Amino acid sequence: MTALLDIRDLSVAFDTDEGSVRAVRGVSYSVEEGEVLGVVGESGSGKSVHALAIMRLIPAPPGRMESGEIRFDGQDLLSLDRRRMRDVRGKRISMVFQDPMSSLNPVYSVGFQLRETLRLHLDLGRGAATGRACELLELVGIPDPRQRLSSYPHELSGGMRQRVMIAMALAGNPRLVIADEPTTALDVTIQAQIIELIKELREELGLTVIWITHDLGIVAGLAHRVNVMYAGYVVERGPVRAIFKRPSHPYTVGLLSSMPRMDRKDAGGLRPIPGRPPDLARLGPGCPFQPRCPLADDGCREAMPPFDETGDPGHHVRCWKWPEARAGHDGGLSLDA
Amino acid sequence: MTPDSVPLLEVRGLKKYFPVRSGLVFDRKVGDIKAVDGVSFEIHRGETLGLVGESGSGKSTVGRSVLRLIEPSAGEVLLDGRDFLAVKGRELRRLRRRMQMIFQDPFASLDPRLPVHAIVSEPLEVEGGIGRKELRERVDHLLDLVGLDTGSRNRYPHEFSGGQRQRVGIARALALDPDLVVCDEAIASLDVSIQAQIVNLLQRLQEHFRFSYLFIAHDLSMVRHVSNRIAVMYLGKIVETAPTEALFDNPAHPYTRALMSAVPVPDPDIEATRRRIILEGDIPSPANPPRGCAFRTRCPVAMVRCSQQVPRTLEIGSGHFAACFRAAEPAAPP
Ligand SMILES: Nc1ncnc2c1ncn2[C@@H]1O[C@H](COP(=O)(O)OP(=O)(O)O)[C@@H](O)[C@H]1O
Ligand SMILES: Nc1ncnc2c1ncn2[C@@H]1O[C@H](COP(=O)(O)OP(=O)(O)O)[C@@H](O)[C@H]1O
Ligand SMILES: [Mg+2]
Ligand SMILES: [Mg+2]
Repeated sequence: MTALLDIRDLSVAFDTDEGSVRAVRGVSYSVEEGEVLGVVGESGSGKSVHALAIMRLIPAPPGRMESGEIRFDGQDLLSLDRRRMRDVRGKRISMVFQDPMSSLNPVYSVGFQLRETLRLHLDLGRGAATGRACELLELVGIPDPRQRLSSYPHELSGGMRQRVMIAMALAGNPRLVIADEPTTALDVTIQAQIIELIKELREELGLTVIWITHDLGIVAGLAHRVNVMYAGYVVERGPVRAIFKRPSHPYTVGLLSSMPRMDRKDAGGLRPIPGRPPDLARLGPGCPFQPRCPLADDGCREAMPPFDETGDPGHHVRCWKWPEARAGHDGGLSLDA
Repeated sequence: MTPDSVPLLEVRGLKKYFPVRSGLVFDRKVGDIKAVDGVSFEIHRGETLGLVGESGSGKSTVGRSVLRLIEPSAGEVLLDGRDFLAVKGRELRRLRRRMQMIFQDPFASLDPRLPVHAIVSEPLEVEGGIGRKELRERVDHLLDLVGLDTGSRNRYPHEFSGGQRQRVGIARALALDPDLVVCDEAIASLDVSIQAQIVNLLQRLQEHFRFSYLFIAHDLSMVRHVSNRIAVMYLGKIVETAPTEALFDNPAHPYTRALMSAVPVPDPDIEATRRRIILEGDIPSPANPPRGCAFRTRCPVAMVRCSQQVPRTLEIGSGHFAACFRAAEPAAPP
């Protein structure tokens, strides 16, 4: 396999009243063609900003790319001029967001918006665009696609709107789709429909997918590999089985032990992570998880560790103390100090 | 009947219909949104009843009707066997304070202009008969109970994180020592690691004060974790009720099975072999619910009969009730 997307040392900062906020910090990873990469982390951990950076959609000012290199299919995205970058968006990489209502225009019909997208990307005539719009709605599982073309966004349920967004994202035949919490606002029943759809589309179209979510459960069933983000850093990354069976960052371990499990009887109480995520404007030089971490010592307060290999192929973790964290997962590390 | 067997809260045949109006000149009622359509359940002292179902199934309307934040259209709400819907004036206020609510969005439910101590002491002051010094002590004690240091008493809601605001909401709800606390999606907007903190707090407080929870949530995993019994709602009706473990061991209603199967589990090995029941389409409108069993339009095992008759609620195990013609049949093998 070859890397379709390759990101090196990506950092993004925002200039705010409280100073410079580094929302994404030295993120490096690659995504292989045809795989699903899950990106998990709590709100504010930099998941969305890092995705917008790939699309070069960071509002500047206040945003600023501090460093980084983004190669897509061998091409350096940061060196492209605006026109060529517009070609990349939609035709090669496209995005699906949490709230379809903010991406769909309420005054135009679904059909009109789909056709416009198609004509923009593919230079299709009106008739051909209508035909293709129908095919796309059918592809994403919308019943009676021809009738639906004349529907307005508010006439559709949340799940149907998200299907329309996926159809729009697919209009330009992209190779990579970045889905940013696409099911967070939906009921679990509808979420299950959308996940199933994405799995089918991936098989059928050979799509590569980056799926951003705060829900570890979704990632377990969908992703091949996982990045765990905390305070702008990717703190752990690896194949999905390694992440769930041998989590090695204390944050990942803590997340897993603070989640109740639907599939089994409780083995005692939840073990929450104490404290809360840090204020990004006031981060010291050390590990950002250190104030909440039961394993932290002076070394952790002084410097953020580089990635270390855990021994599982492709499994990397940024923690000075990861062997203890990993052992703690098996023995039930208590983070609830 | 011994006094112990009288449940703290008994709800019988509860209905809440919202009028559907239309017409620009003459505002006419053209139908009803049957948000809650004949719901019965009970909650015992110290017990947690989980209430689950997709959004729009009527969970919040049940919670708000029970507290009489909205007036039910029909049915009975008995508190300690007393008819709560019939009481008025002073008696209503007296009974009402025994039931409190914790909302999803602590920011929207807390007055942004008041400092924390005023938010928490307000119910106590309305109650009256309490001196300045005692009031201050009570508030500090409540803040301490919910894990906020007393230094936060002069701060305002916007200065707090979501989790801390929820703690303020909990302190306020507990101020009058209630018997029942309705949590309506109380942790839904919090991050995973903070959800566990708040749920542990809710459980500790319950152990301490022995009050009951009506725990409304769409997160089946958390509901399993906190509930003694669970009621599953669909389109205004409770379709299944059971003690928590009985429900998970032997879910009888196809809707319950579908809900459970839709919840992702954080284990890739289990996910790889799970058989998902994918429901088709969306929950129908409660203004125009399907005839017969309301679930039949999405039900993977519906029969002709399901469109002709409304299934009655039957007891299929000890304390395990389900409203489905096929509830007695074993689930398909996994
Ligand atoms: N336009 C902006 N101006 C200032 N700060 C921003 C802006 N967009 C995002 N941020 C900050 O960047 C951080 C990461 O945000 P985000 O990537 O949206 O998190 P996530 O998607 O993981 O919830 C947050 O602290 C957020 O406040
Ligand atoms: N004040 C109201 N007026 C009209 N319809 C309402 C009102 N409140 C709720 N509803 C409707 O009642 C149904 C049940 O709503 P709700 O109790 O909020 O469900 P849930 O909490 O399970 O999501 C929904 O269809 C909703 O739109
Ligand atoms: Mg985000
Ligand atoms: Mg609700």
